[in-house]
Amino acid sequence: MRSGEGTAFCAPGDEGCSGSVAFGCENVVKHYGEVRAVDGVSFEAHRGEIFGIIGPNGAGKTTLVECIEGLRTHDSGSIGVLGLDPQRQTRLVRERTGVQFQTSALPQRMKVGEALDLFAACYEQPADWRDLLARLGLENKTGSYVETLSGGQRQRVFIALALVNDPDLVFLDELTTGLDPQARLAIWDVIRDIRDGGTTVVLTTHLMEEAERLCDRVAIVDHGRIVALGTVPELIAAAEVEGNMSFAVDGSPPLDRLRALPGVSYVEHLEGRVVVHGNSARFAQEVMGVLAAVDERVHDLRSEQPSLEDVFLELTGRQMREGAPA
Amino acid sequence: MTVAAKLVVVQTKRTLREPAAVFFVIAFAPLFALLMGLIFGNDPVPEFGDRGYIDANLASITAIVVAISGLVVVPTDIVTQRETGALRRFRATPLRPLTYIAADVVVRFALSMLGIAVMFVVGILAFGAHAHGSLIAVLTASALSVLTFLAVGYALAAVLPSQGVAQGVGNVLVFPLIILSGAAVPLAVLPGGVRQGAQLSPLTQLVELLQGLWMGQTWSENSLPVLVLLGVIGLATAVAATFFRWE
Repeated sequence: MRSGEGTAFCAPGDEGCSGSVAFGCENVVKHYGEVRAVDGVSFEAHRGEIFGIIGPNGAGKTTLVECIEGLRTHDSGSIGVLGLDPQRQTRLVRERTGVQFQTSALPQRMKVGEALDLFAACYEQPADWRDLLARLGLENKTGSYVETLSGGQRQRVFIALALVNDPDLVFLDELTTGLDPQARLAIWDVIRDIRDGGTTVVLTTHLMEEAERLCDRVAIVDHGRIVALGTVPELIAAAEVEGNMSFAVDGSPPLDRLRALPGVSYVEHLEGRVVVHGNSARFAQEVMGVLAAVDERVHDLRSEQPSLEDVFLELTGRQMREGAPA
Repeated sequence: MTVAAKLVVVQTKRTLREPAAVFFVIAFAPLFALLMGLIFGNDPVPEFGDRGYIDANLASITAIVVAISGLVVVPTDIVTQRETGALRRFRATPLRPLTYIAADVVVRFALSMLGIAVMFVVGILAFGAHAHGSLIAVLTASALSVLTFLAVGYALAAVLPSQGVAQGVGNVLVFPLIILSGAAVPLAVLPGGVRQGAQLSPLTQLVELLQGLWMGQTWSENSLPVLVLLGVIGLATAVAATFFRWE
């Protein structure tokens, strides 16, 4: 699915928005001087989904999300968040949304409980923050200074701060970057719980595995535009990326018959191992059909499916990008 | 408790937990008075018009501490909070920016005044310093000076880009201004031209106001320094309001 296709726009005050749409963008543009950081973006996120935004550094992800959050003003186009205008109804939007920043900190020498209590007081209808800390496994850390916590614990404090108003919509930026695998898995469980509780989650991430495992739908952003949007299987199916099947064989492999299969793009033969690249609905069955008919012994058969990372690289290119603002 | 009250409580606790902040904001003024008193005593000497060192200089110590606080401590602290993203975190809530700033100013003001009050108590009780004028007037002028340099601190934080620059600019400003103020070195020992130039510094005006009131002058005899301080508050507040950034 490409951007702009069939997106029903969620305008401020639009009755339909209070239904299934958490936020919508239509033709949003944001310039920094000559650079179009966000270049005509239209899409919407559904209520109760984990919506992923991925893209290379400098693709415009953060700027786009900050426009939706109302932390930055866009130049043209419109944005509706929970049926509100984030530029004119900023405080109302903040009452009902939560934000976890990639680069954020609390003032030094503040205890976890003090921070939650203080931020809860910023909202008209705060959640019970003690309950929230317990859900995040931080109930014993109320009296600890934030700066003394481990990376995973600190990240959970910032998630708690983003949820302290029991938001309808929460934005999480680079949630698990720099965390160890245990902490990462634990935080993913937390995010699924949040979603299952009815909160819409917008997740900006660099980690393909995170997007693949966690997100109900993913938008790939590049050069300020959405270049693809859909569920991960949809994105993989729509992109022209290949999987492969590989096997070892004693004797001479049936290379010509494999190359002749529909959907096979090329076949490699290296040191007794054959790798068949291709992409079709019956690709695996076709390859196995050929193998079943040969006399030689075939072993160590493996299949690799295309991943979100393959789609991402296919759509955004493989060249290194540095120096551009995130 | 309202969010403003909570902010005041948390900011106070945070400051009291930070040894450097406790030293510069609260302890510095009394310790400075104590140290000067122990070194110079308070016996009458001719260079201070037959008054003692503490008698002649106690009030102007206020100028030294508010200058260090407003030119170095406050801007460095605020810029650091901006750089680490702590201010940004507040900006993503419905909290009104003015509520945050008001609470911050209240805490810094109260803790600075505490340090200054203890300084006067130390000077008076330990060294027998004697205000010829009204002590209330001197404390009122001190309060005005704390507010003035808090505004200057916010203005510097608004225009300076990083913690390192804030620290550097603060130190470059603070030492010449203190030396030219007459609070550390009597202005009489400076060359005539420098002495006249020093009159342009708001800190010099502040020292003259504090010493004048301490020596029994009236407010109306000190209308120039008061106007200068009010002017600095107005200018600094305008700069801060125009250029203050949350991230």
